[in-house]
Amino acid sequence: MDTELVEIRDFLAEHAPYDTLPRPVLERLLPVLQVRYFRRGSVLLAVGQHTDVMYVLRSGAVDIRDRDGELVERSESGTSFAMSPLLQETPSSYEFTALEDSLVIAVPADAFLQLCREQAAFKAFFDRRHRQRTQQAQFAAQIAGRRFAGLRVAARELVTRPPVTADCGVSIREAAETMRSNGVSSLLLLRDGRLAGIVTDRDLRNRVVADGRDGDDPVATVMTTDPVTASPDDLAFEVLMEMVGRAIHHLPVVDDGHLLGVVTSTDLIRLEQANPIYLVGDLRRAATIDEVVRLSKRLPQVVRQMVEQDASADDVGRVATAIADATARRLLDLTAARLGPAPAPWCWVVLGSQARHEQGLASDQDNALLLSDDATPGDQRWFEELARRVSDGLAACGYAYCSGEVMATNPRWRQGLQEWKRTFGGWMTTPDPEAVLAGSIFFDMRPVGGSAELFTELQDDVLARTPGQKRFLAHLAGNAVANHPPLGFFRGFVLEGAGDHVDTLNLKRKGLGLVVDLARVHALAIGSPHVGTQSRLRAVASAGRLSAESAADLAGAMEFLGQVRLRHQAGQVRAGRTPDNFVSPEELSPFDKRHLRDAFQVVKQAQAVLARTYPLHYLS
Amino acid sequence: MILRRSPDHRRARQLAASPRGALPEGALRRYLAQPFPPLGADHTSLRLLAVDLETTGLDPDHDRIVSLGFVPVDGTSIVLGGAGQVVVRGSGGLGQEGVGQSATVHGLTDDAVAAGAELTDALDLLLEALTGRVLLAHHAAIEQGFLDVACRRVHGQPLPTLAVDTMALEHRLVTAGWQTGWDREPPQGGLRLPAARERHGLPRYRSHDALTDALACAELYLAQVAELGRGRPVTLRQLTKGG
Repeated sequence: MDTELVEIRDFLAEHAPYDTLPRPVLERLLPVLQVRYFRRGSVLLAVGQHTDVMYVLRSGAVDIRDRDGELVERSESGTSFAMSPLLQETPSSYEFTALEDSLVIAVPADAFLQLCREQAAFKAFFDRRHRQRTQQAQFAAQIAGRRFAGLRVAARELVTRPPVTADCGVSIREAAETMRSNGVSSLLLLRDGRLAGIVTDRDLRNRVVADGRDGDDPVATVMTTDPVTASPDDLAFEVLMEMVGRAIHHLPVVDDGHLLGVVTSTDLIRLEQANPIYLVGDLRRAATIDEVVRLSKRLPQVVRQMVEQDASADDVGRVATAIADATARRLLDLTAARLGPAPAPWCWVVLGSQARHEQGLASDQDNALLLSDDATPGDQRWFEELARRVSDGLAACGYAYCSGEVMATNPRWRQGLQEWKRTFGGWMTTPDPEAVLAGSIFFDMRPVGGSAELFTELQDDVLARTPGQKRFLAHLAGNAVANHPPLGFFRGFVLEGAGDHVDTLNLKRKGLGLVVDLARVHALAIGSPHVGTQSRLRAVASAGRLSAESAADLAGAMEFLGQVRLRHQAGQVRAGRTPDNFVSPEELSPFDKRHLRDAFQVVKQAQAVLARTYPLHYLS
Repeated sequence: MILRRSPDHRRARQLAASPRGALPEGALRRYLAQPFPPLGADHTSLRLLAVDLETTGLDPDHDRIVSLGFVPVDGTSIVLGGAGQVVVRGSGGLGQEGVGQSATVHGLTDDAVAAGAELTDALDLLLEALTGRVLLAHHAAIEQGFLDVACRRVHGQPLPTLAVDTMALEHRLVTAGWQTGWDREPPQGGLRLPAARERHGLPRYRSHDALTDALACAELYLAQVAELGRGRPVTLRQLTKGG
């Protein structure tokens, strides 16, 4: 029997991406296809609907609109559509409506996904298309959303300090002195305890200096009486409109007669800007440890906002690290200032994820102190006190004490430089399990405070020795391949739908940590000074130790695992819970699961390659 | 009394009148044993088989089937997996005159025809596919007539069929509609398959083998029921009325 459906075959062969398919593949596809007809005005697929087919428009025209009804694309003959819901196994984000009477070819999900798996060019087309369309949609959403997102905050959230006030009976000079000593640009003036007026920097310039007024005059003569106020529930953009409309820069916030504080135009500008930069700046200027602690509470919201703006996991890791660094630095500065001059040079180093610029939200503090060899035993008290106060401060800021006592408060990790060199030397020459564990922590080290030269000297010494330490590297490698990615985790639910009793997945230990371990071994083997996992991978690829492809695959796996973790943590922040690394299967979309499995496969393969590089005889 | 003359009644009566001695187990018997879809069935669940025959002429008694093509329609979907096409070999005795002039229409040469299947095998293949389905064709009387004659030749029995005719449906649509601008009757050739398809905005087909024409007919049918029903179900009774 001859079942050549020449018209359908030739039609598909003329249109991307079916034009990439070899002829026999295309002919095998034909028997699973269906042809359907949609009268103009009828809906092929609505927003939120699931589909078991993707479509190729044979004739007619189909409009693709996003959930707000915005036209995303007008499909013409030969256009493929509705593939995203199939690729991601999610409900449709778009509505597909026949603009004209339309004949469509329906490709069943199974066949389509099989082509995506087996035909690289075919898959690449849809990935490209999907990216383009989501980018378009995201761009539109950002333009619409971002302008207002920050400005939807309530006025009460914008008040950062208690109001600075004076009685309106004081003189202009007294008022100005109060403003200067409090570092504010406006002063609220009270009569009988109630708000009577406001005076600002600008008023002092325009109404006092320019007019030649006497500083002893009562401030009431130059203040703005009965100023416009905001209520605490007004939204930031309403406050902004009020300010713009009246050309003013300060708005007192009053709650039922009770004065809460002042919102300034600077506060609003700050809202509009990316928060993290301001947070880092604010941390640097923080006057007290309490203020550092208060400011650091903004970190989870900063991360959440970045996740919602689709920042990459790498970027978020850098920002969270920058904030952690700024927090540690400010705590060190404030503490050192209080303790008086240091008896000898010191360097505060951070370890682990913070050192790698990969800080997440659920990070412990890992730190140590490198001391100059000039430090005497008598000097120890000063350093011990520095370590204790900074460590306590970090804990108050949300960086929990390290359960393994890897902190500068532990005398073992507060040593002179020569002692540190000996310690590293010992780990490398006698690689027992403890040494390997320590190696995986202490080889990720970065200075954040004090004399960076101390760190550089230690690093130079250590890195000059690592490439030759075959046995140590073999043990480190053995450790890096000892933990397998939890591919078995997927058998429970990826293949059979959501399982009942599947444990949560520790994304840090069973995912990200494995990539980190792999990158570290390779980087140490070439004596690379890089600490971040992504930069380590780039370094080992350009040194030819890993193929560019494997390095890119690992980097991609790292990024994807990081994204899943971030989304999980952002969700916890939204729900008011403490962020952690434990993801339950219910949180994962089928798309996530499939890509997680791919990421784990990449890790598993990289582990196999590393295991071959360091055969077992090194370990015996 | 209408029921007594219905195709399904004829089918049932013919099966009852054919003991296994006269009609052994086979494609025709299985076809007869399966009732046609009820007239009350609506188009969204209706099972049809679009059929196109390429013949040496228009007279079933003198001309013969050169090839046949078919494709199933399940409700509002054309199921390409069920498509079939077979070239029918001349029997030597009857269709000995060769394909002649008609070769320019369907693109088959005598060589291709000679390589085909026996009429009995081709008919069995079609009957398997048509079992339990409504026959769908453009000017269905031709297909019904040729298949009936073929069945009589092969099995010594007529072939009862229940048919939906896309040409009749098209006639109904154009004469009922004021939008065509036609004065009641379509112009010469206005109901032919390519013209009807063009009116519904369906793509123009280059090839005219039996399978392509069956597919073309099936697509036309989907467009027609969509227009007839305007979003509401159409019953088989409405589809066969006057057809």
